[in-house]
Amino acid sequence: MAETYPHKEVIEKTSIYLPEAATLREKKPMTPFDTYFSFELNNRSLGHHPGQFAEISIPGIGEAPISVSSPPATDNRFEMVIRKVGTLTSAIHSLEVGEKVGVRGPYGTSFPMEALKGSSLLFVCGGIGLVPARSAIKYALEHRDDYKNISILFGCKDPAQRLFVDELEQWKQRDDIVFFETVDTTDLSTYLEMSHMDLSYRGPLDEWKSKKWKDNVGVITTLFPKLGDVDPRETYAIVVGPPVMYKFAIMNLHDMEIPDDHIILSLERRMKCGVGKCGHCQIEDIYVCQDGPVFYYSDISYIKGVI
Amino acid sequence: MELLKISKKDFLSFVDKKISEKKSRIVGVIQKGSHFVFDDLLASTDLRLDYDVTILPPKKYFQPQKEIMLKFTPKKVESCVAVNSYDPITIFGIHYYDLAAIYLMDRAFSDGDGDEHYIKKRENSLLIGSYPQKHFKQRFSKSVVKEQYYKVADLMLVDMGDEYVIEVVSEKGKNYLKGSQLKKNTYSLKQVEEAKTHIKDDQKLPVTVDIASEFLTRNYYHSVWKYFGDKCFSCGSCVFVCPTCYCFNVCEEVDLTLAEGQRIKVWDGCMLEDFAVVADGHNFRRDRADRFKHRTFRKVKYLPEKYRYFGCVGCGRCADACTADIAGPNKVFKYILENQ
Repeated sequence: MAETYPHKEVIEKTSIYLPEAATLREKKPMTPFDTYFSFELNNRSLGHHPGQFAEISIPGIGEAPISVSSPPATDNRFEMVIRKVGTLTSAIHSLEVGEKVGVRGPYGTSFPMEALKGSSLLFVCGGIGLVPARSAIKYALEHRDDYKNISILFGCKDPAQRLFVDELEQWKQRDDIVFFETVDTTDLSTYLEMSHMDLSYRGPLDEWKSKKWKDNVGVITTLFPKLGDVDPRETYAIVVGPPVMYKFAIMNLHDMEIPDDHIILSLERRMKCGVGKCGHCQIEDIYVCQDGPVFYYSDISYIKGVI
Repeated sequence: MELLKISKKDFLSFVDKKISEKKSRIVGVIQKGSHFVFDDLLASTDLRLDYDVTILPPKKYFQPQKEIMLKFTPKKVESCVAVNSYDPITIFGIHYYDLAAIYLMDRAFSDGDGDEHYIKKRENSLLIGSYPQKHFKQRFSKSVVKEQYYKVADLMLVDMGDEYVIEVVSEKGKNYLKGSQLKKNTYSLKQVEEAKTHIKDDQKLPVTVDIASEFLTRNYYHSVWKYFGDKCFSCGSCVFVCPTCYCFNVCEEVDLTLAEGQRIKVWDGCMLEDFAVVADGHNFRRDRADRFKHRTFRKVKYLPEKYRYFGCVGCGRCADACTADIAGPNKVFKYILENQ
């Protein structure tokens, strides 16, 4: 193409796509695929609310939306649990303490913790869904007196995939909350078939080889009967999990007569820009990165294929 | 709005003067084989204001096919710098429907967190519009575009035969005309209106634009989506030629020395198979019918709800580009009407 004008490139001081650096301060493997990370921003607190996400990147490798798993903080630290599923997450897993990632955000809507004050909370968390939910759970526990009953249901595939194991044990011990957990199966032999996968951490696999799972076995909905009487008028359910879990969890909540506007969900989509432009996370007329990821079920239940 | 006029001969001298001044990049519609494209003008005689439609709309100047947003040393976060380029640009001969599309993109990119990469390109642009002087069998703009194109045009050219009437839309446009051989307009408003609209559209949206959204919503579960979806090759031609499709992907590029890299925006589209895939491989719009429906609803319902104007400007490019001959929105409406 002919040039009719000399082309010039300029450096922008600000750009919605420009990440700022955060330093990896702590790293701890949790399951064969999931690792806990604590990052620290240089000059500011992330300033997020429970349920929000940030775009995390490594220059030259990629950028992806990741949920924040810590409650709002006054210092510059924030926590994430990242599953190794692709190029970027593998690169993040191999970072050493002291190395840096790029951060944009926080973005999206959050769990309405302020509006829920005075109500009872029922958390329904499936697998890695515990990661964003933990931000709200920890917030609620830090402000325990502001809420009535707090119940937490957690289910994952098998004992080796439990996240935040120490905290699960603490929640189990507390007498001011109700906590139940379950695993879909105690069979760990499927990991043998995963030899093609580079498992980050074999610790829990070795541990559960010799240990026996004594708690509930079955999908997460098998925990609902244990809850006993729940007052549907004063209870809000916060549901976060894989797509398959939502339908069944919501059916159970409906059985408990919890109305749709008392059910709060966090949805997963491919939020490439985080600012409502790129179109990837659009479900019908909503942009998950801006209108979500946290939604009242009553606001989105009309959408086919939303969960 | 002020109306002026200029002889075609003087207009060409004006364009040549602008090219030689080199105060901005000068772009216009030129012939390329049997088609027309927007490209840099080397001489005013290359300008073809009698075109039917261009292969791509002028969106490529504001959201390039590939655009560098960041430059960096790979793996060094602190080396990231945001880069932009917004050379002043003047575009001659944008049909009014493409201007309407630019208005919609302006809304999208300045909504909420504004995208400097787009906004600055637009701020440094001057848009000179025109009205079609030739039929295009797929066009139906008149049934979907209102007068929103005046919100982005700086000047509009009306072909009066030997002369152009110039609609002076913006102050910026008025300043641009300084030093040209302008005369007072002597045509009646009726004559000007006739010259603007004498080329009738070959097609029409089968329902009125005001009820289109509701009409489609009522037919959310109609067999039309599967019927057309089954024929779709998921090639993405319809979204790439569309003046109101602005979805993009964010990708990394690293050069062979591994010493330099960049984060880029590239055109992407919801009709492509992997557009809605998430990290574990789950595809939220795996079926072609769902993708086909999403694209149509985006134009007819979602964009209008967000930005008040119909999301399709009726240029007909998608219908022309589609390999399976299913992409024209009119086809969807017609099929539903015939298969109630």
